[in-house]
Amino acid sequence: MIEVSFYAAIIVFIIGAGIQFFRLNKNKDFSNPKKSNRPQYNIKGFFLNTFLQAKLFKAGKVRWAVHFVLFLSFLYLLIVHGLHAVTAELFFSDYEPTLDPFQFLRNVSGFFVLAAGIAFIVRRSFNLRINQDKRIKIHGLITVIVIVLLIGSGFLLEASKIISEPIFMEMVEEYSDIDDEELIDLKLHWKDNYAVFFQEDLQSAPEQLENGQVLNEEYCLYCHSPIKSAGISRAVVKAIYSAGQWFNVNRIDKALYWFHYGLCLIILICLPFSRLLHIFLIPFSSSQKKKTVHDYQKSSVSINLATLYACTNCGYCSQVCNIYPNYQINRNPDVLPHAKIESVKGLLKDPSSINKWQLNAGNGACTLCYKCTDICPSGIDLQSLWTVLDKKLGEMGAVDNNDLINETSLNEWMAKEFISNQKIKQDGSPNCGTSSGNLTSTLADRIESFENCIQCTICTNVCPILGYDSNGIDMTPHQIMNLLRLGEKHLATSTRMVWSCLTCYACQENCPQEIQVTDILLELRNAGGMTADIIQKNKLTEKLINK
Amino acid sequence: MKLAYFSGCKIPFYMKDYDLSFKAVMHHLGIELVELPFNCCGYPVRGDSFEISILSAIKNFAIAQKHDLDMITPCKCCFGQFKHAQFWYKTQPALKEKIDDLLALENLLWEGHTKVKHLLSFLTHDIGLEKLGKQIQKRLPPRNVVVQYGCHALRPFSVTGFDNPFVPKIFEQLLGLTGVKVIDWSKSTECCGNPILKSNQELSLKILQNKFNAAQKAGADYICTACTHCQMQYEMVKSDNTINNQNLTTLLYTQILGAALGVSEKKLSETGRLPEDLFKDE
Repeated sequence: MIEVSFYAAIIVFIIGAGIQFFRLNKNKDFSNPKKSNRPQYNIKGFFLNTFLQAKLFKAGKVRWAVHFVLFLSFLYLLIVHGLHAVTAELFFSDYEPTLDPFQFLRNVSGFFVLAAGIAFIVRRSFNLRINQDKRIKIHGLITVIVIVLLIGSGFLLEASKIISEPIFMEMVEEYSDIDDEELIDLKLHWKDNYAVFFQEDLQSAPEQLENGQVLNEEYCLYCHSPIKSAGISRAVVKAIYSAGQWFNVNRIDKALYWFHYGLCLIILICLPFSRLLHIFLIPFSSSQKKKTVHDYQKSSVSINLATLYACTNCGYCSQVCNIYPNYQINRNPDVLPHAKIESVKGLLKDPSSINKWQLNAGNGACTLCYKCTDICPSGIDLQSLWTVLDKKLGEMGAVDNNDLINETSLNEWMAKEFISNQKIKQDGSPNCGTSSGNLTSTLADRIESFENCIQCTICTNVCPILGYDSNGIDMTPHQIMNLLRLGEKHLATSTRMVWSCLTCYACQENCPQEIQVTDILLELRNAGGMTADIIQKNKLTEKLINK
Repeated sequence: MKLAYFSGCKIPFYMKDYDLSFKAVMHHLGIELVELPFNCCGYPVRGDSFEISILSAIKNFAIAQKHDLDMITPCKCCFGQFKHAQFWYKTQPALKEKIDDLLALENLLWEGHTKVKHLLSFLTHDIGLEKLGKQIQKRLPPRNVVVQYGCHALRPFSVTGFDNPFVPKIFEQLLGLTGVKVIDWSKSTECCGNPILKSNQELSLKILQNKFNAAQKAGADYICTACTHCQMQYEMVKSDNTINNQNLTTLLYTQILGAALGVSEKKLSETGRLPEDLFKDE
């Protein structure tokens, strides 16, 4: 039964891994990498980041220590404990799970994995920044929770086996030839020294205990180290001892065995589709050639999208993200790298499931500062991903605000619902957009900030844009001041001047009436951005329906 | 003296030369730079969202205040944005209230005392031209150099207080100390075109081309900048072959000053390669 289920799980795992491999390989064309002559690999990065987890060390020493201890402990548990049927004979001639040092090491490793797992859960649940998107939170936690459950059930299993009278009786029958009287002596010894729970009331006399010890030495000791080395399980024993009868009568140990073993199989089967895949993909992503500044400046950056699945959602990227304040105002989760990468994965899987408008607004705000890429413990080339994503969203219909307004007819722009700014705010939805936040510099709405304009055209004359591109400009700065005086603020937000402005402040500095011309233009751009956000949203949502 | 170094988004990765040479010069002048977990200055979203841009800037001040430090930045857009944000934060009570609330969520608070300095104004006013002049160890060859001021530090003067916005002189004075010949040209205070590079590349490059032409006409051998975005814009020539007059190299002020202060070339440039006719001994 055990063997059959084990091999079945392995087969399912291999099929799953194959499916996943095919899927990840298929996604390659998302980034349109130019076929390079020969792939180049980063061998040093591969070794450093796989075996020493060097990038994690760089990101945080404590987290590295916790993760590295977990890594070693889990590896030990997997090889020596989990696969002992195969591995034990290769390495140890006298392996018994109940003998030291194995019993002791199993407990210690289990403790480390459990403690580290709980530390991960606590960090992810209470950490301010990465806590923001519930979808991400649950997704990223499942794997850790399952592992904590696995180790927890392991300890419970060991404890239930320690107190189990049925197992004691089976062992006695199999490994000894003692009579009933001696059995009582041995029981007494095991009750006192190995914490077995016996249903009957055993009365002890000193010579019986002595005899029990002799019997123990004769039959048991070569397979059973004292249980004090099983520290954690012993603590669990203390907790469940009072319920010992219930445990023994119902053979809870058997149920726990199947739970524990089943969980192992489930983890194995789900591995290709869970966060645990990072154990294979981090070495892969770390082996990708490291890009230089020059590579990023080229227009054709590419990324192997399989590396996205090396993400463990640790949230370090969002922790250092340069534009976190954007998120604080617009509450757009796609501003933050660790949430954005989830959306990209969604986009690969099923484009219609993703709010492309929100993703575009979030990605558009990225300043490409490289901080997330630098810190990513999984070695994912996020910088390239954001560039590729920008291009891809462009293909899907997202456009720069400047182009969007250029493409939008004045008729469309002057639609009633856009004219009243109030309406835009009530809609609520543009909150996630590029131009979120309802506080402005309040210049364009206050008549005293532009009424002093004497239409002297100095602003227009000093504007470098008009010097270089007078044909491309429909309204000049002084004409925009006039539009405001006519109460045509919304019309002003669509002018080329507003969107081509270099923000060099020449007009403002030269204005004899001390009007904050550039600041007004910027404010108009903010206001126009809100309208553009809505048009963009309709546009991207329409495409969504058409597909 | 101890200052918080605000590098901005582009310097740490894209402009390692600026990072290296700025740190080397500051180290040479005995200034201790502290790197704090700053975020974006808010300049890139200035045209998108007023709230985000001001919050971003003020949050950096709050972080600096926590460490009781004033800030220095070698980027003029960051500098201008900081000044801009201080102005609006202090004049708009509703905005101030909203920002204060958001800062409080992260146990931050800004009381409004943090000063921000740009590299050039710091050298002129805090170090002093005379003192800096005495530190010059090697006069560089008198090659013709034009300066690019950078709009956001210069204007509006009422907000930035950088230098006379019509006839600024601190850059020329500082550059003159190093021995190079600073020459006048018509476009020292005009925009480099970088702010619209992404949205209107054609126009942006047209502006850049005009700047190169003007510099060439003035007889310049080099252009000197002290701003991240100006430098990036001029560096565009390397990757864009539609631009003429590519033989004009753009240098960072910290590289020229560093060489004059006697800082080794390796500490001024990542590649260690700087134009020989300016940096190598005759």
